[in-house]
Amino acid sequence: MGYQKPIPLKTQDNRPYWDGADRHELILQKCNSCHQYSHPPGPSCAKCGSSELSWESQGSDINGKVYSYIVSYRPFLPGFQDDLPLVIAIVELEMLPQVKLIGNILQCSPEDIEVGMPVKMVWMEIADERSLPQWIQL
Amino acid sequence: MESIKNRYAIVGVGESERSKNSGTTPLHLALDAARAALNDAGLQAKEIDGFMSYSENDSCTSHQLATYLGVRPKYVKDILGGGSSTEMLIADAVGLIESGQLNTVLIYRSMNGRSGVRMGGGGWDVNMLQTAIEGGSFIIPYGAGSPAQWFGLFATRHMHETGLTEEHLGHVCLAFYEHAQRNPKAYFYGKPLTMEEYLKTPYLSYPFKKHDFCLESDEANAIIVTSAERAEGCKSRPVYIMGLSARQCVSHAHYWNDLTEVAADYVAPEVYKMAGVKPEDIDVASIYDCYSWVVLRQLEAYGFAPRGEVGNFVAEGNLRIGGKLPSNTAGGMLSEGYTHGMNNVLEIVRQVRHEYKGTVRQVENCEIGICTGWAGPDMAGAMILRN
Repeated sequence: MGYQKPIPLKTQDNRPYWDGADRHELILQKCNSCHQYSHPPGPSCAKCGSSELSWESQGSDINGKVYSYIVSYRPFLPGFQDDLPLVIAIVELEMLPQVKLIGNILQCSPEDIEVGMPVKMVWMEIADERSLPQWIQL
Repeated sequence: MESIKNRYAIVGVGESERSKNSGTTPLHLALDAARAALNDAGLQAKEIDGFMSYSENDSCTSHQLATYLGVRPKYVKDILGGGSSTEMLIADAVGLIESGQLNTVLIYRSMNGRSGVRMGGGGWDVNMLQTAIEGGSFIIPYGAGSPAQWFGLFATRHMHETGLTEEHLGHVCLAFYEHAQRNPKAYFYGKPLTMEEYLKTPYLSYPFKKHDFCLESDEANAIIVTSAERAEGCKSRPVYIMGLSARQCVSHAHYWNDLTEVAADYVAPEVYKMAGVKPEDIDVASIYDCYSWVVLRQLEAYGFAPRGEVGNFVAEGNLRIGGKLPSNTAGGMLSEGYTHGMNNVLEIVRQVRHEYKGTVRQVENCEIGICTGWAGPDMAGAMILRN
């Protein structure tokens, strides 16, 4: 059986992010006008409306801490039924606390998860030449 | 334009039967609700010249509803939307009446929310979800496809920052379930809830248990808005709109960026200013309750309890009839029924016009009520009504 969960769809607005993820690299969108990071990325800056955007690599060694989380005991989407309870977290990046990413904390029991928990980004191979950024407890 | 304070009124409210399986179409439900609202107002269908509705592509059109009421209206409008849409359409109706384009507007929400298209029901195409939801490719691959999960992410952070506990969430549920026991039309009538039962119920999606979720229902609601002048000729006791904030947005708050602010923080000062009242003047409330936690965050936003003290406010029983702020007195979306907020509007109208006088459902001496509509942390609307 192959990977049964949804695979991130690349669009004209997010392609550099997901292409970067496939290379195991975190690429963030940044506004050249107000110099703020835009995540999720979009067709223009969600902070100031400028369309002067660039993409900035943060490399492959990404740490963060849990900003918030939930624990799903039901599979609200297909493919997740074998992963319950599933921890879904918002992770605040260590080097850019203004940027927050949603992901799963892998191999983490509901008893262990807490706000502030340090985590490290890992890339999970999910299909041919496709990888999904995920997190493990540090 | 001058202030519209007290110059417009809700003159009719009505609903269809409520169930988990209506066995009929949204058009039939909408007709039932519209006829009930017309009857309440003492108006003929032909006196309605504007029809408006909101839906998530799960309803009939305003044009259809008007057609089968035998009306050729001057104006129809159907918008896509959920919570806070009632307030927005009322604001639109007021604007159209103010500018002389319409006289009387009927606004409805009709849905087979349980037997038809379910908000949290699954069965959605995951690729469609990724494109349909803003930022979808950054949440759907992680299993975050349900509003319960998105609201939960806000809730956990808010609980962490302010010391709110699961028991505080439980107090919201208990108050509304208690009100449902006084409302024979509530879906959870006859199903009271204790704190012990609440706390021992397993999580569906931490921090939420099943009681923290709104219901999914098949039902339709309708309300009729007209000018204060025309309201005098109606059969019902008019409920006047003191303040209205149609729908304010906070950019991109929905998923993760800044969980400390919600759109209701911006709506509150505007609606109080127009109404010329303060939170302590409010006698009764309908607080949008798609999840229990949403009520707590709005109590902060609308100034009913300071940040950090909302938990004590609800633990003291203040949301119950007899408390400082009787809220969702028909049971709310958690325990009465769910039409993306419109059933809460119906209830506040009935309370403010003292329709339950002489029964345990009536909030004593309630002259001013607030109704908040909220679709998520990213958008909100509200209105203040008076007898």
